[in-house]
Amino acid sequence: MRVAEKTTHDAGTSATAAAAPSARPAVVRPRRRRGVNREGLEAGRRGTRTLLWILLAAAMVLYGFPFLYLLFTSFKTPIDTIAVPPTILPREWTLENYTNALGRNGVLASFINSIQTAIISTLLSLLLAVPAAYGITRYKTLSGRIFIMAALVTRMVPPVAIGIPLASMMASMGLSDTPIALSIAHTTISLPLSIWLMASFFEAVPKDLEEAATVDGCSRLGALWRVVIPVVSGGIAVTAIFAFLASWNEFLFALLMTAIRSQTTPVVIANFQTQFGLDWGSMTALAAVYSIPVILLTLLLQRKIVAGMTLGAVKG
Amino acid sequence: MSTRKYISRLAIGGICTAVALAASACGAGGPAASTSGTAGTNTVNVLVEAGGHAELTGVAEQCKKDAGVDVNFVELPYDGMFNRLSSEFSSGAVSFDVAALDSVWLPSFKDALQPIDEIFTDEAKKDIFPSLVKEANVDGHFIGLPAWTNAEIILYRKDLFEDAKNKADFQAKYGYELAAPTTWKQYQDISEFFTRDGMYGTDVKGGVETEWLAHVLQAGGPMILDENNNVVIDNDAHKEALDFYVSLTKSAPAGAAQVDWAAAQNLFNQGQTAMTRFWAHAYRQIPKDSPVAGKVGTAPMIAGSAGIGGVPGPWYLTVPKATKNTEAAKKFVQCAYDHNSMGIESSLGLASRISAFEEYQDKEGYESFGPLIETLNGEATATRPATEKWQQIVDTVLVPMLQKAVAGGDSATLLADAKKQIEDLLK
Repeated sequence: MRVAEKTTHDAGTSATAAAAPSARPAVVRPRRRRGVNREGLEAGRRGTRTLLWILLAAAMVLYGFPFLYLLFTSFKTPIDTIAVPPTILPREWTLENYTNALGRNGVLASFINSIQTAIISTLLSLLLAVPAAYGITRYKTLSGRIFIMAALVTRMVPPVAIGIPLASMMASMGLSDTPIALSIAHTTISLPLSIWLMASFFEAVPKDLEEAATVDGCSRLGALWRVVIPVVSGGIAVTAIFAFLASWNEFLFALLMTAIRSQTTPVVIANFQTQFGLDWGSMTALAAVYSIPVILLTLLLQRKIVAGMTLGAVKG
Repeated sequence: MSTRKYISRLAIGGICTAVALAASACGAGGPAASTSGTAGTNTVNVLVEAGGHAELTGVAEQCKKDAGVDVNFVELPYDGMFNRLSSEFSSGAVSFDVAALDSVWLPSFKDALQPIDEIFTDEAKKDIFPSLVKEANVDGHFIGLPAWTNAEIILYRKDLFEDAKNKADFQAKYGYELAAPTTWKQYQDISEFFTRDGMYGTDVKGGVETEWLAHVLQAGGPMILDENNNVVIDNDAHKEALDFYVSLTKSAPAGAAQVDWAAAQNLFNQGQTAMTRFWAHAYRQIPKDSPVAGKVGTAPMIAGSAGIGGVPGPWYLTVPKATKNTEAAKKFVQCAYDHNSMGIESSLGLASRISAFEEYQDKEGYESFGPLIETLNGEATATRPATEKWQQIVDTVLVPMLQKAVAGGDSATLLADAKKQIEDLLK
């Protein structure tokens, strides 16, 4: 647009500029030049769009292919799963792997345990992260800043370093092999990230909103509950998804802390790889089934997630 | 009610149920106690690697009938089991009463395990392979009962070996009859003979160490450490074994450095190799739709100058000192000994008692047992050195060294370097 406007302006002043020795020939033929620019711009836009589509497609293939391969493998016959060189599509489609995987003792229980653990861990994360992040962003104290940095530092500790002491602590409290113990352990993973995420969402909410609520008679907590929380609900959905996924896919703590009652599905999936062989078919079948709730949850919360992602994007 | 409201209520209901279950500290896996059973009860928690679970399922059922012992299995993947055991043994609070341990872990956990000498009667000692009786005895006490054992044997393509043209061609080229190999030389010749038309004679596994160690035994050496714990990896037996191992790469698929058990098993089951040295259980695990199904023959591990030698791969049932349920735990271990042959009927299909293997060796489908017995009784067969650092030696020294060797490294230099590294680890 700016180029076109500039061209028009040049055309308007061409009469006075004609005498100048530095006058360019393009000024004499403004109409044709404008056309060239428009076409060039359109072509440029098309090129950019095509490039973006190619990048998007590449990203989709990069992320989607492993999952598709897993899905196809789950429908292959045993010999097909170990074919050298491997094939993408099954030569013969079978549901045998699903029958084997889902018929295995303890699979259903592990699913229930995974759901239970992930829900409790998500609730715990939100319950702690929302007030913590709100306090840090609204009061802006030195201790708050130190706290949020310290929370980030805990993410830098390898889980295996805290896994074994955590398992011992849970055992000494009589909590080993319970969903609550595993949920607490999972919360230690998701809480720092949840605080950081929620802090960034609270930052995006103008203080004026709360002040207006206070003027209308809300207490500080009332303003938080009635005004701020609904505004950041998209952000809470994003944080909940991250916390849920962190627990849903977690393996190490589940391995160290669960036994008979609370073993989660990631450990059961890993059990298909034994010292005596690897049952690719059953492993991929169970992994495919295990990914369904997460896909559904993401689809269900899709709008909230997008809203959360863009929260604060227009600030300033 | 709108769908959205319905979903919301369903979600809230689910969350409430989950929270209520958590509050009651219940998991969906069952009502069993999370820590080892209380004294005097007849319920035991048995920690077992996922692959070995099936081996003990029949025993558990029988044990309930015979001794009234109820068994809950805690199944874990192999890769995480060592961490779990370390964690629980170091905390002193164990969630299991019996643990099935890989033989290489026995030295690491020996101080946390109870003696079970009473199960090792004279009769029992005669019915268990000598190398396993020796390995189970740590510091004068038996601390583990071998629940099942394994060893590498030779799996070969019977259909190719019996083919008249192959037989004639082989006889013409090498001057002796084509048959399952019994010596290193025969193994090399047959591997070379079948490396043609897109097929390979054998595989070379650069990603695992056990097979090379078996060749060290066949060459007459103790593995890695002698009886005084001196590092002997640079002696003649180790070099001879390494040179033989590397010599097979010309008859094996490319990329030997990355070939591990799973890759070698795949190659054989796909019909891409004519022979493989592999754990005996693999014979019964050939997929029914494999191109080699029904066409595989078995033979004992090949012999070097010291005779047939293999590295046994037993798993031991152990009773931790920290269990509160010693009596029931020992009853279960005794049941596992008494009904050892039940494991043979499982998907893994192994046992540990000689009599159990002998009972099945002539039955159809168990053709691998004869060669397995012969290998486990081989004059050069021996278990791995009893050192707590074994896994570290394997991961940081032996496997990297083998990978360099099969990629063309100088064997003498590699063995000398490995010696220094192992000595540093053991300091």
